[in-house]
Amino acid sequence: MRGPLAHLVPTGLGPWGDGMARLVLQPLDLLLLVALVLLAVQGGRPWRDRLALVLSLSWLLGGGAGLGVPAELPLALPCTALVTTLGMLVSLGPKLRLHERLDERVLLTAAAGLALLFGLTAGSSLAGHGGAIEALLGEAVAIAVITALLLMALAPPHPRWLALGLRVAGSWIAASGLLMLGWLSRQPL
Amino acid sequence: MGQGWGPSRWAVPRRLSPLPPALVAAVLAPAAAWAHADLQPGGGFVAGFLHPISGLDHGVAMVAVGLWGAVLGPPALWLLPLAFPPVMALGGLLALLEVPLPGVEVGIALSGLVMGLMVLFEVKPPLWLAALIVATFAVFHGHAHGAELPAGAHALLYSLAFVIATGLLHLVGILLGEVRRWPGGRALVRLAGAGVALVGLWFLERALA
Repeated sequence: MRGPLAHLVPTGLGPWGDGMARLVLQPLDLLLLVALVLLAVQGGRPWRDRLALVLSLSWLLGGGAGLGVPAELPLALPCTALVTTLGMLVSLGPKLRLHERLDERVLLTAAAGLALLFGLTAGSSLAGHGGAIEALLGEAVAIAVITALLLMALAPPHPRWLALGLRVAGSWIAASGLLMLGWLSRQPL
Repeated sequence: MGQGWGPSRWAVPRRLSPLPPALVAAVLAPAAAWAHADLQPGGGFVAGFLHPISGLDHGVAMVAVGLWGAVLGPPALWLLPLAFPPVMALGGLLALLEVPLPGVEVGIALSGLVMGLMVLFEVKPPLWLAALIVATFAVFHGHAHGAELPAGAHALLYSLAFVIATGLLHLVGILLGEVRRWPGGRALVRLAGAGVALVGLWFLERALA
């Protein structure tokens, strides 16, 4: 039996607020969406335009499915590895020419798949808790809002300093992910 | 022309806008809510952010990376800070996997000394060599500092904050290095390099004692 809201930090704002706060206080999902946004703004337009909707809906769909899972899925390690890889792709940036090599639909589908997986993990960690559905909806709304804001704020064309800044942010995500992989290998969460 | 000081201009509005009370409520409400909240995750972030800043050996070396990047100019200016965090994290990962690294304290002290001297004498090696030097020292820093998670702190928040603080220290070094564009700035940057080297020397003496 899991403790009440063991995976939610009580903000006093109810399950909605707790769900929104979860995005910041347990930031693996946040790192995923930031890394995907950075990849998107480094590349093509069609992918960028649909990302906010696709990410939040896929995450919510995965989360809903996760609520039906009887036990918490032990996916922290692969999820962290994926975020680390995305951070590295962002830090390598234009050198990879990811958007030239891959079709936009492939990238969008991959982003949706990742969001689905992360949502599934989050949903399974909240399953059985009171207010889990509201928390899940709250986090999905936060994902949509933050993604849309980031996409607007970081819309290309980028001045040289910002293009470098995006790559630095990717390297920071990769570094945090690497450290987290170490923690997970020591004590699986 | 309607620019007079008549009562219509300065009169108190009959109906106050609902915005200020709403703002006050918005500012006060979270404080009440957080009063009973579990702040452990936030604690992880604060601990991670303060760790690189509070350790003098780590801090001066990180500033020196930025300073040396500024001395070397582009592309090293941005390449060194870009490469440092992942390599440092790799060092942290090695520590967490309990892979031993001999002479960690000596390596950290040497990083301050060597990079301080590079800045002091404005040494400009090829880019690959500069990157190799910085990457080697990054592994030592990561091995020593990246794996010091306080009990109960949230590991990812701690790691993220640790990396962000380290990156900001690089930025401080780069901004200090940009002083070179001003008259007398070059000497100031070299002086900063001398300071870093002295701190490194002091830590080296302690590490070898």
